[in-house]
Amino acid sequence: MDVDFVRRRLPGRSVVYLSSTDTTMREAAELAARGAALGTIVIAGEQTAGQGRHGRSWHSEKESGLYFSLLLKPDLVLTLALGLAVSDGIARVAGTACDIRWPNDVLLNGRKLAGILVQLAGSVAVAGIGINVNHGRFPAPLDGEATSLLLETGRALDREPLLIAVLESIAAYCRLLDQTGRQPILDMFTRHSSYARGKRVRVQHLGETITGTTEGLDPSGFLLVRKDDGALATILAGGVRPEQTASA
Amino acid sequence: MTLEEIRELIKVVTETAIAELEVQRGDNRVRIRRVAENRTPEVIYAAPAGVAPASIPTPPPTAPAPASSPASRAGEATPEKAAEGLLDPNLTLVKSPIVGTFYEAPAPGAQPFVQVGDTVQPGKVLCIIESMKLMNEIEAEVAGLIVSKLVVNGQAVEYGEALFAIKPL
Repeated sequence: MDVDFVRRRLPGRSVVYLSSTDTTMREAAELAARGAALGTIVIAGEQTAGQGRHGRSWHSEKESGLYFSLLLKPDLVLTLALGLAVSDGIARVAGTACDIRWPNDVLLNGRKLAGILVQLAGSVAVAGIGINVNHGRFPAPLDGEATSLLLETGRALDREPLLIAVLESIAAYCRLLDQTGRQPILDMFTRHSSYARGKRVRVQHLGETITGTTEGLDPSGFLLVRKDDGALATILAGGVRPEQTASA
Repeated sequence: MTLEEIRELIKVVTETAIAELEVQRGDNRVRIRRVAENRTPEVIYAAPAGVAPASIPTPPPTAPAPASSPASRAGEATPEKAAEGLLDPNLTLVKSPIVGTFYEAPAPGAQPFVQVGDTVQPGKVLCIIESMKLMNEIEAEVAGLIVSKLVVNGQAVEYGEALFAIKPL
């Protein structure tokens, strides 16, 4: 990683680079607790214990992907805005159109290209983002679920310009959220994501498996699913999969 | 406006033909709107500045109240105990700041952050509330004894819903 290039492109931002760490989430949360400014970013060359949702890990092969956490202003639809922003940044640099699986899994050809997790730390949101860029393969059981830009496009990409593009998109979407409120984010998500409306899905939700068809987002950004028995379910958290290849 | 008052308002909408009801008290405004298709009232908060508004799904009026949760064990939360906790002015209630899913442990199968009977210090993580992959670690604000856990692991919780009762030490 050419950290000098990244720092030059982010004047005024605090950029911490660690060639190897357990997880950038912990590093960033500690910086937040010590009063680090919003916009502070922690980048890792590799993570030995990259975090996913509910104790899952994020495969963080050395120098193959982008693994970073940044400090942002909290908002309930921040996670949706980040999915849009990451998808937008990837599209601008790699020229690929990604799908977003609610709430914010970035998919390419149905496989997971980027993952986003946000933890509230007091009055600061710590957003962790992992993007698979130049991975040549994934170990089982990820090989059926995950993909990289290299695997999908056949081209290796410089990670630094991609990181800058994604950070620019994040700044733009956060500014939009701050200035215009949630509705534009919800509208854009609904237009962008194939999962927002009319998608047959299976969802692990509150201890049960729901099968049905998505019916858009409610005013808070929660996913509405019309169950096969006719009832409308409001999905509060992830675990949404296409009906055919359902797995939690 | 208390959660109890809001529950009363939901009851009014549920038991009548009212489609939408908006009540304002000081800075607090709540609008309850019946969703036509399944007659489920929807609560939309307009909270004071700094508090995130949230929409709370409520159970349909015909849904039977669960008699008791199979997941609750002896010594843990039951509705009766929760009510006792609410009545005891010496207890501090830890409430959910967002609508989401309650998790008692950092990962499935892991040890819960706290259990009833534990003594906690301020800053101790008590649970996680997840909303759309936004993980909100709820910390104790006072030193005290965890007297009861008022919700079950994996349960949906409302904005302002009591999660734990703590007896300050």
